[in-house]
Amino acid sequence: MAGVENSGIQADDDLVYRRICSLLEPLNQKGVKLTRDVDLVADLEVDSVSVLDIVMDIEDYYDISIPVNTISETKTIGQLVDAIHAIKGQQG
Amino acid sequence: MSLFDKFEKNAVLYNSLSAIGKNPFAVVMEEVLGPTRAKIKGRETVLAGTHNYLGQTFEKSAIEAAKAALDREGTGTTGSRFANGTFSGHKKLERDIADFLGLKHCVVFSTGYTANLGAIAGLINPAEDVVLVDADCHACIYDGCALAGAETIRFRHNDPESLDKRLGRLDPKFKGKLVCIEGMYSMYGDIAPVKEFVEVAHRHGAYLLVDEAHSFGVYGETGKGVSEAEGVMDEIDFYTGTFSKALAAIGGFVASNHPQAEYLRFSSRPYQFTASPSPATIASAGAALKNIKEHPEIAAKLWANANRLHAALTQYGLKLASKPAPVISVLLPTKEDAFAAWNFLLENGVYVNMAIPPGTPGKESLLRLAVSSAHTNEDIDRLVAAYGALAEAFPSAKVTAAAS
Repeated sequence: MAGVENSGIQADDDLVYRRICSLLEPLNQKGVKLTRDVDLVADLEVDSVSVLDIVMDIEDYYDISIPVNTISETKTIGQLVDAIHAIKGQQG
Repeated sequence: MSLFDKFEKNAVLYNSLSAIGKNPFAVVMEEVLGPTRAKIKGRETVLAGTHNYLGQTFEKSAIEAAKAALDREGTGTTGSRFANGTFSGHKKLERDIADFLGLKHCVVFSTGYTANLGAIAGLINPAEDVVLVDADCHACIYDGCALAGAETIRFRHNDPESLDKRLGRLDPKFKGKLVCIEGMYSMYGDIAPVKEFVEVAHRHGAYLLVDEAHSFGVYGETGKGVSEAEGVMDEIDFYTGTFSKALAAIGGFVASNHPQAEYLRFSSRPYQFTASPSPATIASAGAALKNIKEHPEIAAKLWANANRLHAALTQYGLKLASKPAPVISVLLPTKEDAFAAWNFLLENGVYVNMAIPPGTPGKESLLRLAVSSAHTNEDIDRLVAAYGALAEAFPSAKVTAAAS
């Protein structure tokens, strides 16, 4: 989990956030410090398909389905985490 | 100028490659010399990056039919299928495709792209339906979902169990469920386990759409596609295809045994709001269809060529994406390697397609060789020689390099 910044109390305990960061780390070629505010495309330069692939890992881990529409509306790591929490609340 | 800012990053690469004459996305066929040859950069080149699988671009009967249609009906329909753009030829072609596939209904669209767009957006009510899409499906299927405004869920590529899980946890609020897969996927040339997908989709009360754009005319005993090869032509719900590959024209279609497929004509904006295929296009597609139906040896020749090329490339130790298929892709670790290798082949008189992430299924880039039944022995000799030289010049394209 090197390089993962836990910003604030919520993130520190947030397993979804940690899981997303660990999935993003191999794609983080510029060594950007990961925080909730990091923009996936603009800051990390992760392409849209890679984001969808990461989300598929999250889906299978938590046994939830996250619509493509929801993912395309999220820009930052924090927004993605919040979207997954919302769906976990509904489906989990 | 913020409207144009978004272009800058890719424009740098695009312009620098164009400046040195090495841009795979700016190739011009300066002169077409036959179904598998064209002049590129002044040099006669073997075309192995077209989708002329059954070599029908210069089929005599198709050219004659197109000329006759031009003389008889003029250059264009000047209207959409929904309004003034349906001629008797469009209706006849719909019947001929339905007969060829052994399905009851067929609706012809202006391109393969609009056929998928029209099928999905026409079938789906975003307020109550959901679409489940294979992770590697073509852009037009994703664009169809976007046009529909539908909730879209992606499942793992060619993985019926992954679909099963996602169908199983769907909110019961969804009334209609549509699953979209392809027959042969065009990037790797891998084929779908359609039979398993039929079982999973129907067990959950979902409909299955199979896009056979690349497999129509090519797979199955009578060329109906991967669905025929899998023995489930009667079980799939919607079959979509294109005229721009095996039939060497332009246009697309949706075929089905569901009589309601006819209602796409008034529910599908890509049917209603774009001009219909020209009479000459319809005529050549129909003649090519007749020709491939009467001559199964054309598809047999394609497979012989594909098997020969796949065996040769395997022998060179090149890292191939799939088992023998009309698409044979060599995987390369970086896009820089792919650009260089693509240019290397072109300089050796061979044109193939190049694809880089995110347009590829994995993290690798690829060179895509599309085989044609019209490739002559001499064409294949030249392809084999060029790939042999490639294997020597680019160790990163080989299996051993990938393993280390």
